[in-house]
Amino acid sequence: MRPFTYTGTTNRNEALKAFTTTSHYLSGGTNLVDLMKEHVEQPDQLIYVKNLQYNGISKNKDGSYTIGAMRSNADTANHKDIRLYYPLLSMAMLSAATAQIRNMATNGGNLLQRTRCPYFFETSMPCNKREPESGCGALNGVNDQHAIFGYSDNCIATHPSDMCVALAAIGATVEVQKVDGGSRKIDLEDFHRLPGDKPEKDSNLEPGELITHIHLAKPELSNHYAYVKIRERSSYAFALVSVAAGFQIEDEKISKIGLAMGGVAHKPWKLIEAEEFLLGKKPIESNFGKAAELAMKDAKPFEGNRYKVPMGKNAIVRALMQANNIGE
Amino acid sequence: MKTKNATGVGNAIDRVEGHLKVTGEATYASEFKVENKAYGQGINSTIAKGEIIGIDTSEAEKLKGVLKIITYKNAEKLKTFDKERPVLATDSIAPVLQSNKVHYYGEYVGFVVAETFEQAQYAASLVKLKYKEDATARFILGQNKDKAYNPSEESDHKRGNLKKGFSEADAIIEQTYNTPIEHQHPMELHATISSWNNGKVLVYASQQIVEDAVISISGTFQIPKKDVRVVAKYVGGGFGSKLNVERHLIMAVMASKMVGRPVQATVTRSQMFTNTGLRQSNIQVVKLGAKKTGELTGLLHETLAYTSTTQEFQEPCGSMSKMMYNVANAAVSERLVPLNLQQPFSMRAPGEATGSFALECAMDELAWKLKIDPVQFRIKNDTQEDLSQEKPFSSRLLVECLTIGADEFGWNKRQQKPRANKKGNWLIGYGVSAAARAAPFNETHAKVLLNLTNDTVTATLQMDATDIGTGSYTILAQTVSDCFNVPLEQVVVELGDSDFPITPGSGGSWGAASYCNGAKSACDNAIAGLKKNRNVPKDEDVSIAELLKMNQITSYESQSLAKPDSEFEKHSIFSFGANFTEVWVDKDTAMYKIKRMVNVGSAGKILNPKTAYGQVIGGLTMGAGMVIAEQTKVEPNFGNFITRSFADYHVPVNLDMANVDVIFLPEEDKIANQMGIKGIGELGITSVAASIANAIFNATGKRMRDLPITPEKLLMAEVEDGVTV
Repeated sequence: MRPFTYTGTTNRNEALKAFTTTSHYLSGGTNLVDLMKEHVEQPDQLIYVKNLQYNGISKNKDGSYTIGAMRSNADTANHKDIRLYYPLLSMAMLSAATAQIRNMATNGGNLLQRTRCPYFFETSMPCNKREPESGCGALNGVNDQHAIFGYSDNCIATHPSDMCVALAAIGATVEVQKVDGGSRKIDLEDFHRLPGDKPEKDSNLEPGELITHIHLAKPELSNHYAYVKIRERSSYAFALVSVAAGFQIEDEKISKIGLAMGGVAHKPWKLIEAEEFLLGKKPIESNFGKAAELAMKDAKPFEGNRYKVPMGKNAIVRALMQANNIGE
Repeated sequence: MKTKNATGVGNAIDRVEGHLKVTGEATYASEFKVENKAYGQGINSTIAKGEIIGIDTSEAEKLKGVLKIITYKNAEKLKTFDKERPVLATDSIAPVLQSNKVHYYGEYVGFVVAETFEQAQYAASLVKLKYKEDATARFILGQNKDKAYNPSEESDHKRGNLKKGFSEADAIIEQTYNTPIEHQHPMELHATISSWNNGKVLVYASQQIVEDAVISISGTFQIPKKDVRVVAKYVGGGFGSKLNVERHLIMAVMASKMVGRPVQATVTRSQMFTNTGLRQSNIQVVKLGAKKTGELTGLLHETLAYTSTTQEFQEPCGSMSKMMYNVANAAVSERLVPLNLQQPFSMRAPGEATGSFALECAMDELAWKLKIDPVQFRIKNDTQEDLSQEKPFSSRLLVECLTIGADEFGWNKRQQKPRANKKGNWLIGYGVSAAARAAPFNETHAKVLLNLTNDTVTATLQMDATDIGTGSYTILAQTVSDCFNVPLEQVVVELGDSDFPITPGSGGSWGAASYCNGAKSACDNAIAGLKKNRNVPKDEDVSIAELLKMNQITSYESQSLAKPDSEFEKHSIFSFGANFTEVWVDKDTAMYKIKRMVNVGSAGKILNPKTAYGQVIGGLTMGAGMVIAEQTKVEPNFGNFITRSFADYHVPVNLDMANVDVIFLPEEDKIANQMGIKGIGELGITSVAASIANAIFNATGKRMRDLPITPEKLLMAEVEDGVTV
């Protein structure tokens, strides 16, 4: 690992002030430290922000919740209100990684997880995300785990988070502190970005901006929900394909719905057409099947990941069926 | 052997070394207290074939703490191979940094020595190498079949008339089975601390075979064996990867001489993917023919595997096919293709683990074609003679394993038709496989020291044997306890030091049988010697304390050896087993769970059911790993392995496994050796993959002939012809 300086603080302004363009905020470190060991990330300075007081879980006036960026994934997922009002989020978070990693990893850090693309991890390989202009090894190499939506010739990597897929389904806003002291809110849909010609940028955060809170949308998808994660083993494996589904039923019809996929794009992939199709429809398998067809119709797989199209359809139907049958 | 006491052989006692291990008192290779040690870190090549044309160490040398950077330019001259692609053996030399040539991606091209591990690691990353790449590098076995050669005429086996055999068959199947590269990944990383003193080198190492490590080091450095001492007191798993000396050890020995200090080298987990052995990929073709009534008439098993471009290793995938069934006409062959990939070597049950997957899946395919129950099909083709060696088996309880297993498992509830057993979204399937693994027994020396203090005898056993997590300390203590009829507390077992008598080490399922018989011979020899001195009749029952007193001595030393006898040579000696598996496959996601497994083994005398059970469970899990997700993926353009951590290289997790029942049939095979012991270290992993794949067929109607069987493959596979969906 490359030597670096370490700045620990409990004061937000100190953290922001310490930031330089070659610094990295460190929270749980479950991803960043691994990448530093591999020389993929080589910051000059780590600013430890986990002790900043952004670890609450609080209810807002409108019934929505705000979760602190520095709260651990395990604590968040197991919090009684999150389990009660945002069970989809809890379920997705608990499907991620291992108990040990979830204990260390934080909500803010989870938003900033970097891709698991093997070319990104191996510094001798071409990777535009790690080293702009070096090429994309996966494009004509091993691409079985890669994107089928929204990629560019520069990068076909996927976003690995489970938490973010659930957030995309239920709706959320990310609050960040700017270096100059002000704050701003970014809709989750605009937080992560597609690779385009800047695959090195995973998100729309500006340098030095510090995530402080995640504001969850009002808990309207807590009755019918499911997170289906298809992976190569039952624990400690990233999703080949995952689906977060939540909906509400009124008069036997779907009155509100959130649907998103993981493992298929550079960001959590909202299934907007499928959502629109299902609104006002009966929650029955034939409708779910049609929604799945709509969701996957624009998929453009590679040689190695053609399986993601049928698997994605099956996962969407399964998630919706499971959500519909919940409690049965 | 009749167990004389409650802690002797055959009892399920706790490990005698268990407390040391769980409290951190057991010293593994990198944990020995050595003064003034420096740390070494290997540098890995980033091309697969070519030459180093420039080395820039300036940045690395500037770093604080860096003591030495070794490359081919300044490395000590070592013994190198005197022919092209010599066979890799457990005692082979291991030359490293001897030329500017690169043969595979990840090969060591340098070694940095520094004051701390962290400094060495960082400095290693700063050494800049310039390469001239050779574009003729080859990585993919299936694309290079035309480069195949026959490594050894002897490994080809033919009997009867295969053409005639197939012409007599009512049904024939011929299929290709693919298995990927796998890595052993013992928990303990390969590690060494090496130090020179007056021209002699002491090497703490994590090795399975101490004596062969001595031979390898002395051969590589061209120094007398007596000047090399290897100590491996505890080894945190080997699975074959620690059978031979790997190059980090040679570099540490070399560096220690060059910097004049002890040097520790611990490889990283990602280097365990490039520098410490692997199981190579195989493409196996199996053709089987049988009569309507189920008698096999012909068997063909052809294996294509890869070896590296520098050394030859051949995993004998056909070994089980040669001896398993009563088929008069058979041909088994192995061919190799040299590729620019890491050197393969033994991984747990080399040949059997992979070969049994092909053979036992093929047996299932033919049983299905003949509409014969696969358990009955195997029983029908049982044989008490090893047709490949034309020798009787010393003992073979395969039929018992199959019938008892079928009973325990509830095999009679199996639907012969695939996709017939459903529950909600689950497709449920049952699968069976049979297993055989050679039960070797090799010459083993042992020394026992007896001490009498206040009427209490302490027996200290010394052997260069290793405990690779299997429980050697425990079974040896039990053996000595039995021989002298003293409680375990009065037995001390000292292992893993080349100063002790020579054993074959741990590996190839020969450890337990060889070690215990060796230890017993030393103990028996002590008793015989003490009796003879005082003219006590051989069969008179006198306590060991009494014998020492009669001899008027308080200490006594005895050394002896055990080795195979002529009966051993006249027989074919194998352990046998049967695996029964129930899987539940999700019809839409293609994820599956192994709901339960029943494994029945007939493996001679079980020395300690507790450690034996652990061994078999471990083997079954590793076998399940072959199916679930274990694979090292080769990058097709660059030749590197893209799986380089436990996050990408998927071994099974607890949730993947479920209830596992292990049953040992009571057996003592006195032909195998005096104590009637057969190995179990590799029996557990053998054929498990086939029983799971066969269960997946029974559940889904899909024949999965490429391991691992991942959800993505299973989802995309077509249902076999003739299966109704």
